[in-house]
Amino acid sequence: MSELLIVIPAYNEAENIERVVNRLIREFPQYDYVVVNDGSADETADICRKNGYNLLDLPVNLGLAGGFQAGLKYAARYGYRYAVQLDGDGQHRPEYLGAMRAKMDEGYDIVIGSRFVGEKKPFTMRMLGSNLIELAIRLTTGQVIKDPTSGMRMFNRKLIEEFARGLNYGPEPDTVSYLMKQGARVAEVPVVMDERILGVSYLTPINAARYMIKMLLSILLIQNFRKRRQKA
Amino acid sequence: MTLTLRIVLIVVSVLTTWMIMRKIRNSKLQIEDSIFWIGFSSILILFSLFPGLPDFLSRLAGTYTTANFIYLAVIFLLIMKMFHMSLKMSQLETKLKDLVQEAALEENRRRKMEEEEAGRSGANDEKTEIKQ
Repeated sequence: MSELLIVIPAYNEAENIERVVNRLIREFPQYDYVVVNDGSADETADICRKNGYNLLDLPVNLGLAGGFQAGLKYAARYGYRYAVQLDGDGQHRPEYLGAMRAKMDEGYDIVIGSRFVGEKKPFTMRMLGSNLIELAIRLTTGQVIKDPTSGMRMFNRKLIEEFARGLNYGPEPDTVSYLMKQGARVAEVPVVMDERILGVSYLTPINAARYMIKMLLSILLIQNFRKRRQKA
Repeated sequence: MTLTLRIVLIVVSVLTTWMIMRKIRNSKLQIEDSIFWIGFSSILILFSLFPGLPDFLSRLAGTYTTANFIYLAVIFLLIMKMFHMSLKMSQLETKLKDLVQEAALEENRRRKMEEEEAGRSGANDEKTEIKQ
């Protein structure tokens, strides 16, 4: 068993999942992986079964937070040291996992695969959102996370346990901000991401606005008076 | 509005907010759900601290008195909230139903497989008995 588990949340990714997982199996056999099919309406689960992938097949749709949590419950149960999220649409490239893993070994709790460590952000609506969240995190924690919305995050054993048990531990920037405020050590490693090749993104303008409101309120306000539940 | 009423309003709205915050703090509520309640309680505090605000809104909406306006607004807000909760509950019930059925089907499949396996090894035993 490897020390690192790759959690691949997949919701209606029938067009992408084979490409993503086959590449992992072929080129990165040193890592373990688990596909979490989040109650997809398309053939995602059938494709995974046909290919014999390691699959957690959720019978109902839980949303990204619930699906990712299922993956981390798996990681906690089998005692993995690190777990990382790798999106089922193929925008996260597995060749950066080695560098992220090396950074984790330096003693960080969370390592984020960041698109903007060395680079400037392009000037788009999406980046305006990213900048606002970055600012909110800096105001609450005093630390700078250049790419807070990156989904490519690696967690250590302690946080795997916490994510697996906790309520309000979605794989989102507000959780990262909250954990940083609680003293978690976070590092960023530069990565390049691909645009999604097939299928549709969930990010419509309305969803994006709703996401922003939720994130900003959550980071600036709610996370500030949340109590942390530590294992007794 | 009398001074006593204002004080009562302020105290009650602050207490409400405090109660809501405490529940969120103890992780009893998902963040998505707490956003509504934070918004609601901040409106309560705002209205009690600045009674001019609902007066102004009332004139804007054309209601006869501010009290009417507040009743109308709050009832409308609560009806919307209730409708959303009703929606969510329907979805939850559907999911729960799917989940329970899935669990039962899965359990049935596993038992069948186990029985099949037991049946096969049992058949083998019989054969050896006949031979003897």
